Amino acid sequence: MGDQALELRAAWAIARKELLTALRYPLQLVTEVAQPLYQFLIPALLLGASLAVGGRAIGLESMTGTDNLAGYLFLGVVVGGMVGTAFWDMAFSFKREMDVGTLEQTWLSPTRPETFVLGRAISGGLVSMGASAVLIGLGLAFFDATVGDGLWLALPALLLAMASMVGIGYLVASAVLILREPNFFVDATNFLFAMISGVAFPVAVLPWFIKPVAYLLPTTYAVDLLRVYALGTDPLLDPALEWLALGILSSLLIAVGRVVFRRTEHRMRMRGTLGQH
Amino acid sequence: MSTLLGDLRAFAAAGAKEFRILRRYPTLFLGFLFWPIVLPFAYVLQARGFAGDSAEASAAFASRAGTSDVVGFLFLGFAAYMWISMILWGPGTALRTEQVRGSLEALFLTPASRLVILFGPAFSQIVWALYMFGLVGAAMVFVFGIHIGLMEALRALAIIAVSVPALYGMGALFASVVLRFGEVSALVQTVRGVFTAFCGMTFPIIVLPEWGRAVALSLPPTYLIGGLRSALLAEADLVSLVPDMAILLATGLFLCGAAVVAFRTTERYARRGGRLAQY
Amino acid sequence: MTAASGPAVEAIGLVKEFEKGRRTLWQRLRREPDQRERFRAVDGIDLLVERGEIFGVLGPNGAGKTTTLKMLATLLEPTSGSARILGRDVVREAREVRRRMGAVLSDGRSLYWKLTARENLQYFAALYHVPPGLQKARIASALAAVHLDDRADDYVERYSTGMRQRLVLARALIPDPELLLLDEPTVGLDPQSARDLRDRVREMRTQGRTVLLTTHYMEEADQLCDRIAIIDHGRIVALDTPAALKRTIAATEVVRLEIQGAPMSDPGLVARLGQVGSVARQERQNGVLSLTIHCRSARDFVPAAFDAARAEGATIDHVEVVAVTLEDVFLALTGRELRE
Repeated sequence: MGDQALELRAAWAIARKELLTALRYPLQLVTEVAQPLYQFLIPALLLGASLAVGGRAIGLESMTGTDNLAGYLFLGVVVGGMVGTAFWDMAFSFKREMDVGTLEQTWLSPTRPETFVLGRAISGGLVSMGASAVLIGLGLAFFDATVGDGLWLALPALLLAMASMVGIGYLVASAVLILREPNFFVDATNFLFAMISGVAFPVAVLPWFIKPVAYLLPTTYAVDLLRVYALGTDPLLDPALEWLALGILSSLLIAVGRVVFRRTEHRMRMRGTLGQH
Repeated sequence: MSTLLGDLRAFAAAGAKEFRILRRYPTLFLGFLFWPIVLPFAYVLQARGFAGDSAEASAAFASRAGTSDVVGFLFLGFAAYMWISMILWGPGTALRTEQVRGSLEALFLTPASRLVILFGPAFSQIVWALYMFGLVGAAMVFVFGIHIGLMEALRALAIIAVSVPALYGMGALFASVVLRFGEVSALVQTVRGVFTAFCGMTFPIIVLPEWGRAVALSLPPTYLIGGLRSALLAEADLVSLVPDMAILLATGLFLCGAAVVAFRTTERYARRGGRLAQY
Repeated sequence: MTAASGPAVEAIGLVKEFEKGRRTLWQRLRREPDQRERFRAVDGIDLLVERGEIFGVLGPNGAGKTTTLKMLATLLEPTSGSARILGRDVVREAREVRRRMGAVLSDGRSLYWKLTARENLQYFAALYHVPPGLQKARIASALAAVHLDDRADDYVERYSTGMRQRLVLARALIPDPELLLLDEPTVGLDPQSARDLRDRVREMRTQGRTVLLTTHYMEEADQLCDRIAIIDHGRIVALDTPAALKRTIAATEVVRLEIQGAPMSDPGLVARLGQVGSVARQERQNGVLSLTIHCRSARDFVPAAFDAARAEGATIDHVEVVAVTLEDVFLALTGRELRE
C-alpha cells in the first residue's frame, strides 16, 4: 500500500479514537453547544437587543445590509467553531498528550506526526459541524434566526476554510510543541483570529491598523461568503475575488504550515523535549 | 486566642501559597493583562457594528442603559464577569483540585479551622481582582478617555468591597457542591452561563422579559454590575447606592452561611464514605 | 518476523549533548553566540546487540540509559556518532526503523485511559500501519502474550499498575517487531508483577525477538540478560555476560562488616583488612564503620577480619556474607553504588 494511503488510514484511526474518547465525555459534547451559546451568542444577542429600534437591528442593517442579527451571529459561530478546532483540537491536543504521557509513544510509530494534525482536523471538524448544526437549529427555533436557501452555495467555502484551518493547525501546533506554557498563546490567538475574521461583528469596525490583517485571513472570506449567500449581506469584495483569495490563502497556509511543522518536529527530536511538560 | 491567631496565620499562609503557585506560571500574568482589555473591547467593536451609522440605535441604547457610554458600560460588565470567572475557577474549584491532587486529606489532618480551608484560597485572589479592576479603570480613563473622579472611584471600591462576601460566599458554596459532585467543568459552565444570560454583563436588564428580570434580580452579580455602572457612569451618589449595597451584604452573609453548612455536610459525607482521597 | 542477518543494534560513538538553560528571543534576534553550558548525557557509546539475545543496559539514574535508548528509538537525534537498527540508520531511515521496532519507553500513563485495552491496541495498530486484515489477529496475539485477553474490553482506567505495564508491552508487540526496546520496564511494579513481566520478556526471546532493555535493578539484569553493558556518566564502563562481569572483580564472595570502635583517624584497620581482601567501599556513620570487602573465600577472610579488629581495639558487630552481584561489579568499576 502506498505511503499516502497508509497515512490517510492512520489519520482516520486518529480521528476515530478522538471521536470515541469524545463520546465518553458526554458533558464535554454538550459544552460544544452550550459554551458558544452562553459565552458569545446570548450576550451578543442581548447587546443587539439593547441597540434595536422597534425590534429591528437597523444599525447592523446600515452596516451590512441585513437586520437579521441572530442569523448574522449564528452563521459567524459556524466559522468560529472551525477556528476553535484548529487551535484546540489540532494544535493544543499535542500539549494534552504531552501532559498525559502519550505523545512520545505516538511519535515512536511510523505514522508522521503531521498526520495527527490531519486526524484531529477530521474529528474536530465533524464535532464542530455537528455542534454548529445544533446551534443553527436552536437559532432557527428559539432566537428568530433565518437563513436563506443560498446557505448550501457557501458549503465549498466552508470546506476550503476547513482546509486552511489545517494549515493554521500546523502552525499553532508548532508553537504548542515549542512553548513551555502554550495555554495563553492558544487562547489569545484563537480569540483574535476569530474576532478579526469578522465572526462577531463587521470587519469594517476594526481599527485601521488591524483591518488589513482581516483581509489576509481565509476565514474572513469564508464567513463573509456564508453570510452573503445565506442572508444576502453586502460582500466585502467581489465574491469571485473572495473565492480566489480563499483558495490561494488556504493552499499557502497548508504548504507553509507543513514546512514549519516538520522543522519543529526535527527540533523536538534534536532537543529531546517530547516527553517534557 | 492562640487558636484564632493560628487560624489567621493559616489564612495568610493559604493566600500566600496560592499566590506563589500563580507566580510560577508567568503566562498567567499575560492573561491578566490581555483579557480584561481585549475581551470587552471586542464587544465594544460589536456594539459599534450593531449600532452602525444609526443615531436612533445609539439613542435606544442610551435610554435603556441610562448612559450613552457604551465603552464604560461594557468594560464594567466584563470586569465583573471576569472576577466571577476567577472566583469560580479559583476558589470555586480549589477543594476539588486539592482532592484530585491528593492533598485534601493532608489539609483535613491539620488543626486549622475548616473556614481556612474553605475561604483561604480566596485571599490571594482578592489581590488579583483589585489589580484587574485597576487595569480596567486605567484602560477606561487613559485609552478611552472616560472621566472617573476620585469620589466615583471610591464609590466603585465600596461596591466591590460589599460584593466580596457575596461573591466569595458563592464561590465557597460552589466549592462544596463541586467537591460533592465532581464534574467541575460542567458546573462552572452552567453557573457562568446563567450569569452571562441574566446579570446584564453586556446589556441593560430591562431588555430581558419579565421572568428574566426576576431571575436577574435574584443574582448578586446583577447588583455588582449595576452598582459599578451607577457609580462610575451615572455618577450616582452613595445614598442612592445604599439599597443595592445592602442587598449585596445581606446576600453575602446568607451565602457565606450556606457555604459553611454545605461544606460541613460534604465533609461528613466524605468522611463516612472515605472519599477525601477519592475523585 | 523474517529471518535476517547482521546485528539487531549497532551503535558507533553515539554522543548526545544538551544545552543548559534557554536562549531568549532577544539573544536569537541579535544572533549572539550561544554561550550556554553544554552537558553530555551520552559520551561516546559503542554497542553491538546480536539478534535473538536479551541485552541489558545497567546503570544508576542519570547515567544516560534512557537517552541512549531514545536515540536508538529515533525519538532523539544524536549529536554525533551513528546507530543502525536492523541494518537501518536511525536518522536517515527513521520511519523504516519505527516500522520494525516496538518500544516501551514509559509506563501506563502512555495509554488512553478512556479507551479499552483493545481500543488502545486498535489505535496503535493503525499508527503502526498494520493492514486491517491482520489487525484482529495481531491484537489477539499481543493480548494473549501478556495474559490480558480476558480483560481486553475493560477501560484502562480500571486496570492495576501491573496490568497497564503489561498492556504497554502488548502495544510494543503490535507491529510484530524483530526488536523490542524496553526502558525500565518494571519500575514502579510490585515484586509479583515485576516477575510476571520478566517472564513475558523471556518469552519474547523464545519467539526469536531481540530485546534491548535498560534497568537500574541489578537483579533484573542478572536474571534476564544474556549480556549486559554497565553504563555510568554516559559511557559504557563494562560489557559482557553477567557471569563474566562478576568474575572481573577477582572475588567470589562479598563480606559486609559493621565495626564499632574503629579509630577515626588511623587507617590501620582498613589497611589490615585490605591485606586479606579487597576493600570495595567504606563508610562511617554514627561511630560505626561499614565496609564492603571482596574476597575469594569468606571462610578464610572472616576470622582474619576479627583478628585485625581486635588488634586495633575495635569490635565487629555485624557480618554478612553474600555472593558477588553486579552491584559489586559496578562498585568496583565506579566506586559508587547503583542505588545512589
